Amino acid sequence: MNKQINNGFRTGLIFGIINIFLILIGFPMVAGTIIKDAIHNDSTVLLGLNADILDMLIFMGLIGLWAGASGGRRLKGEVDTWLDALASSASSGFTNGLLVGGLAYLLGALNDAGVRISVYLAAILPATIKQLLLGKNTLDGALLEFGFLFVTGLLGGALGFALRGQWRKALGDWWKKIWSGFVNSAWVRKIRSHPLFMPAVYALGLVILYIIPQEAGKYWNYTLGTVGIYVLLGLGLNVVVGFAGLLDLGYVAFFAIGAYTVALLTAPNPHHLMWSFWVALPIGIVLAAAAGILLGIPVLRMRGDYLAIVTLGFGEIIRILATSDLLTPFSGGPKGVSAIGGPTLFGKPFSSDKDFVYLIMIGILLTIFVTTQLRSSRVGRAWEAMREDETVARAMGINTLTHKLMAFAIGAAFAGLGGVLFASRNQFTGPEDHNLMVSINVLSVVIVGGMGSIPGVIAGAFALKGLPEVLREVQDYRVLFFGALLVIMMIWRPEGLWPSSRRSMELGKADDNAKKNSGAPGGKP
Amino acid sequence: MEKTAVHKASMPVNTYRLIQIVLGVVFSAYVIWRFYDVFIGNPAYGADTWMRFAISGVVLGSVYALVAIGYTLVYGILFMINFAHGDIMMIGAFGGYFVFEALKNIPSPTVGDPHQVFLNAHPIISVILAFVVGMIVAAVSGYFLEKIAYRPLRNAPRLVPLISAIGASIFLENAALLLFGSQRRDFVNPVQLTRGTGWNIPVNGTTVILPYTGVLTFVLSVLILIALYLLVQRTRIGRAMRAVAENKSTAALMGIDVDGVISRTFIISGALAGAAGVMWGIHLGLVYYQVGFIPGIKAFTAAVLGGIGNIPGAMLGGMFLGIIEALGPAILGLPFQLKDVLAFGILVLILIFRPTGLLGEVLSEEKV
Amino acid sequence: MSKRLFFVLSVLVVASMALAACGTAATPTPAPATQAPAAATQAPAATTAPAAGGKPDACATDAFGCAVFKPGDTIIIGMGAPMTGDNASYGIDAANGAKIAISDAGDFQGWKFALDAEDDGGTAEGGAAVANKFVSNPAVVAIEGHIFSGATQAAIPIYEKAGLPMMSPSATNPTLTQTGSKVFNRDVFTDATQGKFAAAYLYNTLKFTQIAILHDGQAYGQGLAQVVNDQFTKLGGTVVTFQAITPGLADYSAVLADVASKKPQALFYGGYVAEAVVLVNQMKQAGLTNTVFFSDDGVFGQDFLDRAGANAEGAYATSLIPPASDAKTKFDAAYKAAYGQDAGKLSPYSWSSYDAAAVLIKAIESVAIKGTDGNLYIPRGALVTAVRSTKDYQGLSGTISCDPTGECASSGPVFYQVKNGQWVPAAGQ
Repeated sequence: MNKQINNGFRTGLIFGIINIFLILIGFPMVAGTIIKDAIHNDSTVLLGLNADILDMLIFMGLIGLWAGASGGRRLKGEVDTWLDALASSASSGFTNGLLVGGLAYLLGALNDAGVRISVYLAAILPATIKQLLLGKNTLDGALLEFGFLFVTGLLGGALGFALRGQWRKALGDWWKKIWSGFVNSAWVRKIRSHPLFMPAVYALGLVILYIIPQEAGKYWNYTLGTVGIYVLLGLGLNVVVGFAGLLDLGYVAFFAIGAYTVALLTAPNPHHLMWSFWVALPIGIVLAAAAGILLGIPVLRMRGDYLAIVTLGFGEIIRILATSDLLTPFSGGPKGVSAIGGPTLFGKPFSSDKDFVYLIMIGILLTIFVTTQLRSSRVGRAWEAMREDETVARAMGINTLTHKLMAFAIGAAFAGLGGVLFASRNQFTGPEDHNLMVSINVLSVVIVGGMGSIPGVIAGAFALKGLPEVLREVQDYRVLFFGALLVIMMIWRPEGLWPSSRRSMELGKADDNAKKNSGAPGGKP
Repeated sequence: MEKTAVHKASMPVNTYRLIQIVLGVVFSAYVIWRFYDVFIGNPAYGADTWMRFAISGVVLGSVYALVAIGYTLVYGILFMINFAHGDIMMIGAFGGYFVFEALKNIPSPTVGDPHQVFLNAHPIISVILAFVVGMIVAAVSGYFLEKIAYRPLRNAPRLVPLISAIGASIFLENAALLLFGSQRRDFVNPVQLTRGTGWNIPVNGTTVILPYTGVLTFVLSVLILIALYLLVQRTRIGRAMRAVAENKSTAALMGIDVDGVISRTFIISGALAGAAGVMWGIHLGLVYYQVGFIPGIKAFTAAVLGGIGNIPGAMLGGMFLGIIEALGPAILGLPFQLKDVLAFGILVLILIFRPTGLLGEVLSEEKV
Repeated sequence: MSKRLFFVLSVLVVASMALAACGTAATPTPAPATQAPAAATQAPAATTAPAAGGKPDACATDAFGCAVFKPGDTIIIGMGAPMTGDNASYGIDAANGAKIAISDAGDFQGWKFALDAEDDGGTAEGGAAVANKFVSNPAVVAIEGHIFSGATQAAIPIYEKAGLPMMSPSATNPTLTQTGSKVFNRDVFTDATQGKFAAAYLYNTLKFTQIAILHDGQAYGQGLAQVVNDQFTKLGGTVVTFQAITPGLADYSAVLADVASKKPQALFYGGYVAEAVVLVNQMKQAGLTNTVFFSDDGVFGQDFLDRAGANAEGAYATSLIPPASDAKTKFDAAYKAAYGQDAGKLSPYSWSSYDAAAVLIKAIESVAIKGTDGNLYIPRGALVTAVRSTKDYQGLSGTISCDPTGECASSGPVFYQVKNGQWVPAAGQ
C-alpha cells in the first residue's frame, strides 16, 4: 500500500510540474480554444461556468485522468486490486491537484495584491488567472481546481484499472488476425505475384500524383509545395547525414546558393539579367554542388562534432555575407530579391502554385531515383562503411576523402535544386529565408523520419512541415514541441518514424543490384 | 582493385598538404601586410581606440572562456557537444535578473534616503546573491538536462545525443520565450555598478573608461577559472572526473560512480554557464530568451580553437576569440559586420592547420 | 526497397488527397470568383438591393464577386504578422491595436468583426503561406498587414489575384507601392520619406557636416541608412563611416570605438530599439561623448527612455506617436486595460495598427450590402476600390487619405528629442 502511495506521489509530482509549466506558458487556455472549435461553436454555459473555462477544464481534466491512470503504471504486477489502484491514483491526483491548486492560489493572491504578473510571465494575464480560478475568488477557485484534479485523478485510476491488460491484448490480436488474413488470402497473393502488379502500382501512383494538385485548392497546393521542398531538402541531407554519416548543420548554405542563383539570374533587380528559369536551374544546382566541394575540402579530415560546428559556421557565413553591406549591390542585401522569374513551358508561364507542385514532384521523383541508385551502388556501400567505422573503411581501401566530397556535393546539389524551386515559386528570396532554423528543420525532418530512410524522410516532412501548417492554432507552441519531439524521438525511437531497414534492403534488392552492377566487381562474395 | 584504391587515396592527401601550404603562405602574408599597414603604414587608430578595442575584447573573451569550459568539460567526459549549454547560460542570466528585480522592490530605508532599496543599499550582497541564484538555477537545469535528455542515450551512436541536445536547446529557448515573453529585458544593476561608469584613464589626450562591470566580469571569471582548475587537479571529484574522461569502463571498475561523476560534471558546467549568464547581464545589460545562443556558438568555437576537452585550452580559446572579434576587423580592415565571419573563418583555418586546436594533444584521429 | 517505397508514396498521396478533400469540404462554399466579367469594379454602396435569390446586382458585376455572410457569421479581417520568434513583439502589438479597433467598431447591422492574426514569422515564406491561407478562406474580406516588408512583398501578388485589400501599419519599404499593386495600401510613411527628412534635418537644421551611419543589416534599417547616406552626401555633408552591426547582440563597444576614431558630430542609426539602447549606453564608454545620437521610428518610444536612462539625453528619433487627442487618450487607456502594458511599448505601431483596422472596417461597412434574403454581401472588388479611395478619415494619427499608389500616411515624420528624460518635439521643424 505504501508503495502504491509513494509511486502515485512521484507520478503526481511529475504531472504537477508539467502541468504548472503548461499553465505558465498558457497552453491549457489555447488547448481550450481548439476544443471549443472542435466540439461547439456558440458559448454554451454549463454549471454556471462560461465556455472558455469549461474548455480549459476539459483539457486539464484529460491530463488529470492521465495522471491518475499512470499512478500505478510503473508498479508492474503490484496493482492487483481496486484498492491498490485507487490508492496510487488518489495519491497521484492529490499531488497533481495540490501543485496546480497551489499555483492557482499563488497567482490569484499575487494578482489580488496588485502585482502585474504579466510583466514577468508573459502568458499570465489577469484574464488567464481568472480563467484558472474558474471565475471564482482566489481561495474558492484554487480549492475547486484542486478538487477537480483530485477527482479526475481518481477517475483516471479507476478507468485505467478497469481497462487494464487483457483489453489491449484482445484488440491487438484481433487486428493482427484481420491483417494477416488479408495479406495471406489467395486473391491478394495472386494479385501481388502478377507480373503487372508493380507497374500497375506505379501507374496508379503517377495518376494519383497527377490528380492531387488538380483537385487541391490554392492553399493546399501551396502547403503541398512547401512540404515537397522539404522532402527534397530532406532527401538531399539524407545522403550526407543518413548515408555517409556526416552531420551537416549548415545545409541551408546550399539552399541559399540555389535560391540566390535563380534570383540574381532571373530577377529584374539588382542585375537585370532576366535569364530563363530553365537556364538558371542547372546553374544553381552546379554552383551549390561546387560550394559543397569547396566546404568539403577543409573539413575533410574532421569528424562528427567538429564537422557539425564548421558547417554551422559556414551556413551563418553565407547568410551574413548575403546581408552584408559588402555584397548588397550584388545580392540585394537585407531587402532580398523580388520578382524572381518562374519557369515557362512551350512559351506559356508555368508558375502557379499548382504547376510548382508538379515541378517539385518531378524533382522528388528524380531525387528518389538518384538516391536509391546511389545507395545500392558501390558508392553507397562505401558511404555505409565509412559511416559505421571510418578507420576500417579506409583500411578496406575505400577512398574516404573522395567519397566524403561526393556526399557533400550530391547533398548540396539537391539543396540547390530545392533552393531554386523555393525562390522561384515564392518569387522572392531574402536573408530571413536562409537562417539556421532551416538547417535545423531539415535535420529534424531527416531524424524524425528515420536517418537513411527515404520513405521516412517523406513521412517526416509531412509530419513536421505539413502538420503545423494544418494546426495553426498551436503555432506559438510548435517550435517548443519540435524541440521536445527531437529529444523524445532520440530516447524512444532513435531510428525514426519509418526506419530504413537495411536488412530488408540488402535481401530485397540483391537481384536488382546484381543486374545493375554486373559490370563492376562489387563487394559481393 | 584494392591497390589502385590505395594509390588514389594517397593523392588527395598530397593535395591537402598543398592546400595547407598555399593557404598558410597567402594568409600569413596578408596578416603581416595588414599589421604593417594599420600600425606603421597608415595608422588609422590612436592608442585610445586600441585600448577600447582591447578592453571590449578581453571582457568578452572572459565570458566566452567561462562558457567554453562548460563545453570542454562535458566533451572531455562524454565526447558530445552539449548544444544546449548556451541556453543554460540564458537560464542563469534570468536567475540573476529576477534576483535584482526582487531586491529592487525590497525597501531598505536609511537615514539619508528613505526611498533606498536593498539593491542599492547593499550592492555587494546583491551581486553575490545574483551570482549564487543564477549559478544554482543553471546548475539544476544542467543536472536535469543530463538526466532527461542525455542519460538514456549513454550508449547510443554519437549522432543521437547531439540531436537530442539540439532538441533540448530548441525546447529551452522556446520555453523561455513562452514563459517570459519575447521582449528584451534590462538587467538593472545596483547604482554603484551602472554600466558605462568606471575608472577614467587618460590616454592620448582623451579618457578611456575602464568600466567597473568589465573589471568585475574579468576578475570574477579569472577567480572562477582558478577555482575550477584546482577542483579538477587537486580534489577527489576532479580526479574521478579525469578518470572517467580517460576511460569510463576502467573508472567504473576502480569503483568510481560514473553516472554520479557525469551528473556532477553537468552541475559544474551548468554553474559556470550560470555565472557567465549573470556576468553577461551585469556587464551588457540585456536578458531575453535568445541571449545564450550567440555566446553559446562562439564559446563552442572557442573550445574547439583551444582544443576541445582541454581546460586551459578553453580559457585560451575564449580569450583569443574575444580579442579577435574586437581587434580583428580593425587590423584586417574588414567591416565590423563581418566579425562573425572572421571568427568562423579563423576556426576553419585553425582546424585545417591544427585539427586538434591550439592546445589539443595530437590525438589519434578517432578521438577528434 | 523500391516496392515498399512506392507503396508508401501512394499511401501518402492518398492520405494527403483525403486531407485536401477534407480541407475543401470543411471550408464554406467559396464566393463565385470567375462568374463576373472583369473590369467593372465600381459598386454602389447601397444598403439593400433587389436581385434574384437575395443576391444584390453588385455581386454579379464585381470583378471578384461577393463574400457572403449568413446571419450570425463573423466578418474576418486577416493579419499576417510575426507572432513567434525574434520579432514576435511587433506582431503581438499590431494584433493588440487592431483588436481594440474591432471592439470599438462593434457590430455592423448584427454582424460581428474578428481579427485572425496568423504567424508569418516576418519571412517571405511565411508571408506567402499565410496569404494563401487567407485567400482560401471566404470569410476573410480584408487584410491588415503584413507587418514586415519581406512578408508583405511575398503576399501582395497572392492577394492581388484574389481581390483582398491590404492596409499595412508598418511595412515601410518604399518599393512596395511602386509595383502598381491595386490592393496594397499603408498608413505609415515610407523609409524614403523618413530618410530624406532626417538627412535634411541633420544638415540644414542641426548644421552637422560630418556624421557616421550605422544600421542593423536588416531590410528596414539598411534601407533607411542608405537613404540618409545618399541624401546627406547630396546636401554636401560627409559620411565618415557607413557600417552595419549584427543585430541581437548586447555588445557593440568595438564598432563604436571604431566610429569614435572617425570623430563624427552625429551618429545616425537605422534599426530598432533593442540595439539602439545598447549603442546609446555604450557610446560614452567608446569615446563618443559629444556625439549626438539620431535614430528612427523603430527606436522612438518610452522603452528607449526607460532603458537608456541618462544616456538617452539629447538623442533624436522620428516619432510615430500621434499628437495628443481625446481619441488617443481613450485608445491608450483601452490598450493598457486590455494588455496590462502601455501602447507603443512592444512596438511603435500600436496606433497605426488601430487606424489600419479602423480604415478597413469603415471601408467594409461602406460597401456591404444586405441582401433581401437576410445575408450580408460584401463585393470584393468594390472593397478594394473603397479602401484605396479612403479620404479624410480621422484616425488616431491624424487625417488619413490614400493617394492613387496606396500611400495613406497622414503626415510626414516629426522629430523628437530627449530632454529631461522625456521625448519632446525637436526645435526648428
